[in-house]
Amino acid sequence: MALTEEGMFAALGKFMTQATGARRAVVRDWSRLGGGAVQECWWFDLEIFGGPREGFPQLVLRADAPTALIASRSRAEEFALQRAAFRAGVRVAEPLYCCEDSDVIGRAFFVMRWVPGAADGALLVNSKEWEERRPALVADLARQLARIHAIPVGSDLSFLGAALADPAAARIARYRDWLDRFDDPHPVAELALRWLDRERPPPEAAVLGHGDFRTGNFLARASRVAAILDWEFADWGDPHEDIGWFCSKSWRFGRYDREAGGLGARETFYRAYEAEGGRTIDPRRVHYWEVAASLRWLLLALQQRDRFLKGGERSLDLALTGRRPAECEFEILRLIDAHTRTGA
Amino acid sequence: MRDLPSGPQLESLARELEGKGIDGLPPKERAAAAAMIERCRTIARREAAAGEAALAPIRAALASLYSGDPSGHLAQLAAEIRSSALDAPGERRDRALALLRALTLQKLRESNRRFLTAHGYDPEAR
Repeated sequence: MALTEEGMFAALGKFMTQATGARRAVVRDWSRLGGGAVQECWWFDLEIFGGPREGFPQLVLRADAPTALIASRSRAEEFALQRAAFRAGVRVAEPLYCCEDSDVIGRAFFVMRWVPGAADGALLVNSKEWEERRPALVADLARQLARIHAIPVGSDLSFLGAALADPAAARIARYRDWLDRFDDPHPVAELALRWLDRERPPPEAAVLGHGDFRTGNFLARASRVAAILDWEFADWGDPHEDIGWFCSKSWRFGRYDREAGGLGARETFYRAYEAEGGRTIDPRRVHYWEVAASLRWLLLALQQRDRFLKGGERSLDLALTGRRPAECEFEILRLIDAHTRTGA
Repeated sequence: MRDLPSGPQLESLARELEGKGIDGLPPKERAAAAAMIERCRTIARREAAAGEAALAPIRAALASLYSGDPSGHLAQLAAEIRSSALDAPGERRDRALALLRALTLQKLRESNRRFLTAHGYDPEAR
């Protein structure tokens, strides 16, 4: 039986008592954090009595949502990835405790330190308040991504398996599998898959990619990145894949002219990434991965749609996402056409 | 041929969630829910206004490429693309791409006119 909110946080207090080595730990206050169509995040205030961590930390609980998306990692894997990133100097919320036992609060979860900052993509892209800070933010995002792509993959990340020999071929196979799960035909998605297969670039050494590096998935504070969020899609990949996703039109929050995440110029992002010790960016490969990004978002939107149509989740957000594939189709047709006309 | 949920499904969801009441939500969530309810209704209204007539030229273009039950034409196009038969440049590929563009634009006229305007299209133009 599902726990009430009160029951869940009482159980979490007991878990935290043991995890922190305290005499007693009590959750004093909590609230659901916004976003998180895939996972649930809750901010909570903890009071720890006794033990080495006595005090009043502000923390975040990240727990499984009722319905997982295909390819979304478990909370234990996400915890390990976030920890590896933290140790490698990427700005992330410090992950503290992980619990895979779904009997504790009714599902797997992990706890991380709370980091203040703004995550709302529409706000960061459109508000006057952020206008002067956006160029610096774009450069800082690029530096964070270069650091992510340099994270050493040790035995703690063995669940990732061996580095992909051909990341593009692996993605094509994955997206083909996703597409084949839908009952209705999607000719533009088929077109994208054919194009991605025909134009597949020569494989480049795979890196650990974030997998969902975009505006809306980081916290910003005072012109810089406070924390990179949501590691549930991290995987081996071509480094250009994260860049293509970040620059994809789907994540520009209406500012299509600002190609770097709706925040600034693509060149600013590229220069800062390269200066941080990231590889030299090949714009043709980014173009390739932008087609892949539009296809991916199209397929994810269809998955979200099916949570409404077939999964019984009566959500306005999920239902409206079902009407967004046309935006991705428009972009796929435009990008493929641009490639045909210019060879770029 | 249109994306789902259909206009009537969106209208029904809007009515259902409005009936349950969004007044009890915190202000930010309430504003977001109200905006999404309005968006559901707007799409449903545009879809109803456009009706089957807006899709007729696309159905005709599909019928010029494929035979049999018209409800299977889009699936036939998807299968032909997958088979790589439309990889090479040529008139048939051009016709297929033209109808896919027309379908995409029609779907956007109903679901996201702001997107079309931002890309230089007049949502009212055919």
